[in-house]
Amino acid sequence: MREDAVVSWSNLWFRWSVVALVVLTVLSMLVGFVLLPSVHGDFSAQGLWASICRAAGVPSSWAGASSPDAKREPHATSVVLERSMARGGGSDAVGRGATLALNCTMCHGAQGMSGTDAPNLSGQYPEVVLKQLRDYKATRRGSPIMVALAQTLSERDMNDLAAYYAYLPKARTAPTTYDETLPALVRVGAPLRNIAPCISCHGGVDQKLGAPWIEGMPKRYLVAQLQAFRAGTRRNDSHAQMRNVVRSMTDAEIDEVTSFYASKASAGGER
Amino acid sequence: MFLAKRLVLAHLWVAFIAFLGALVLGAWQMYVRSPLSAWVNNPEHYYRSVTAHGTVMAYVLPTLVAMGFGYAICELALKKPLIGVRWAWGGFGMVVAGTALAAVTMGMGRASVLYTFYPPMIASPFYYVGVVLVVVGSWVWVALMSINLRAWKKDNPGASVPLAMYGNVAGAYLWAWTSVGAASEVLVLILPASLGLTDTINAGLARVLFSWTLHAIVYFWLMPAYIVFYTIVPRAIGGRLYSDTMGRVAFALFLVFSMPIGIHHLFADPQVGAGFKFVHAAMTAMVSVPTLLTVFTIVASVEIAAKLRGGTGLFGWVKALPWGNPMMLAVTFSFVMLGFGGAGGIINMSYQLNETIHNTQWVTGHFHLIFAGAIVLMYFMLAYELWPQLTGCAPLSPRLIKAQVWLWFVGMMVLTMPWHLVGLLGAPRRMAYYDYSHPDLQSQAWTVTMSAIGGFVLLVSGILLIVILATARRRGDAPVEPFTFSRPAHVGGHTPVALNGFGLWVAMMIGLTVVNYGYPIAQLASLKEAYVPVIPIGSR
Repeated sequence: MREDAVVSWSNLWFRWSVVALVVLTVLSMLVGFVLLPSVHGDFSAQGLWASICRAAGVPSSWAGASSPDAKREPHATSVVLERSMARGGGSDAVGRGATLALNCTMCHGAQGMSGTDAPNLSGQYPEVVLKQLRDYKATRRGSPIMVALAQTLSERDMNDLAAYYAYLPKARTAPTTYDETLPALVRVGAPLRNIAPCISCHGGVDQKLGAPWIEGMPKRYLVAQLQAFRAGTRRNDSHAQMRNVVRSMTDAEIDEVTSFYASKASAGGER
Repeated sequence: MFLAKRLVLAHLWVAFIAFLGALVLGAWQMYVRSPLSAWVNNPEHYYRSVTAHGTVMAYVLPTLVAMGFGYAICELALKKPLIGVRWAWGGFGMVVAGTALAAVTMGMGRASVLYTFYPPMIASPFYYVGVVLVVVGSWVWVALMSINLRAWKKDNPGASVPLAMYGNVAGAYLWAWTSVGAASEVLVLILPASLGLTDTINAGLARVLFSWTLHAIVYFWLMPAYIVFYTIVPRAIGGRLYSDTMGRVAFALFLVFSMPIGIHHLFADPQVGAGFKFVHAAMTAMVSVPTLLTVFTIVASVEIAAKLRGGTGLFGWVKALPWGNPMMLAVTFSFVMLGFGGAGGIINMSYQLNETIHNTQWVTGHFHLIFAGAIVLMYFMLAYELWPQLTGCAPLSPRLIKAQVWLWFVGMMVLTMPWHLVGLLGAPRRMAYYDYSHPDLQSQAWTVTMSAIGGFVLLVSGILLIVILATARRRGDAPVEPFTFSRPAHVGGHTPVALNGFGLWVAMMIGLTVVNYGYPIAQLASLKEAYVPVIPIGSR
């Protein structure tokens, strides 16, 4: 028995194996790429070759390239959260940011700790500040004051501000960690209503990119944001994650979670 | 055996100790999800546990068992010392080091991405390096199996390769080719992102490459079990192997058809075309052919054993089977689980039917029945068979083995049948907790309690396995009988030359992979829209 005799048309095993495999492959390709698409209007509308391409997964614009739909900007936000946004900046950026931030002190406090109902920014994650500023500038998030202020900010200004606030001492002196006494929505959410627990993104279990830390934020700010998400007037959460979470929450539940987070104020703030 | 005793023993011990650890995690996971316990304290701990359970059970256990068993077969079937023992220890060292590295990273919560990786989620690079080390260590084994077979063929020109070695090398070649998918996913896409060199990852391509590995790896897990079916079961129950050729055909068909079918794991993924999904579904159906051939051949071999013991009649021979023999019990249970699991698998692989159970608890039930049930049960039997050879101990207690096998079977059925049921009802898999206080879910609470009980029965069985193996030496030493494999019913039969080598089947495997995966991979690799920002896990 010679090994090389296998690859020979006179070897029955070789011949029948190859023929059977080719027949099987061709048949299943014909069914998958021609027969099945032919009974789907979506696939077969533009002829046989187009239907084969579609079955193969060739990328194409379903609405047609010239359609206005294809060019429309996304509704929610055009900011793509990337890991690079979380890196902050060097001391130059922080210095420039500190100067720019003088414009912000009226509402957000001299050291980023708000004395009003505006959010605290001290120690906030840089990608959070950056994303919100970009969204304000592009009017993806509404606020007469912030939209107007953001118009004059260049991309570098926004990076500098984010770097500065991230550089300030973290006012998050009471970070949430898991324990059984946390309110149920904060701790485990409500699985059957598709409400994810707060601590799975805002710190406690995980701190997701783009999710702000919210402990000690003014309660009225938190309530206003949740209500805006629920009403759909704020929709710059790129995957609608906050809108989906809040949609089925009651006013009492909003009050419960915001009271919880607002009550975790830092000991030494300006408030 | 000659040189490989300590080597094989080391592989099996590390495999089973890691297995027991992962079994504890599995039982814990079922317990905290059940109404018997409060909701899991921290879902992150649950996913950390799932990652560790999956990584050990899917990569560490089967790889080490296949490697250890492969080295043993090399010496026992070829009847000559293993070539490359030092290299084999080197490969073993890599697998152990990789396991330890991955385990520490998972324990620190830096790798809760589940064993299927799920980009764009990105874990710490140490986790991936650990997994890569396990795979590279196993490639040493692949090379050694090939070298040993080649050397044997050179010494025995024209002779038939023993069936056990044929299946063993088929498994090695299958693994070498199937691991290329996940290896390239990790090396080309995931590690650069994990090391911070890139901030985006081609998630669609990564998933397609993982599917390359994801399904064929199952047949790599299965090979040792099938080798036991063909070459040990008939001998152990006093019968003959019905057909040696059928075994070779089954192994060759696994080589050809287990590879180009992985896209059936991506039926719900929009980045792959419907045509390719159908072709992969059709080819997946072909994998049932070698399985059915095996079931037929083994049942026929078992019938021979019964007839030799005086059994008669169309089905009357079943009574004459050696039911007191642990191997008889194990192969029966294994086939029962293979039957249920296989029937469920036909639902999974059907492009349309899959929609009803995609990503539900049904899928978990399916692969636990097939892998943890039918296959791992045969891993136990293989260890019991080899133990006297490896340690020189007296034969193990059939009573204890039967107890262990019974517990494993009962535990696995109690674990997985409720999963199938709630999967049909729509329960998603990979959930850290359920709200059983909710009226819509309360009626399903009992199923999770049952599964948890099944999990604990399995844990008891796993502990018993370790006890049996660890206390074997206390039974005293006994003269070691030479190890034998099953004899075929027709001795001296002719082995077709195509079934004495792998060239044709490996060529078909590679050709079919290129046809079935070439376009989806090329298309996604060239699609810049497929790159998405990475989501680092546990980085803050």
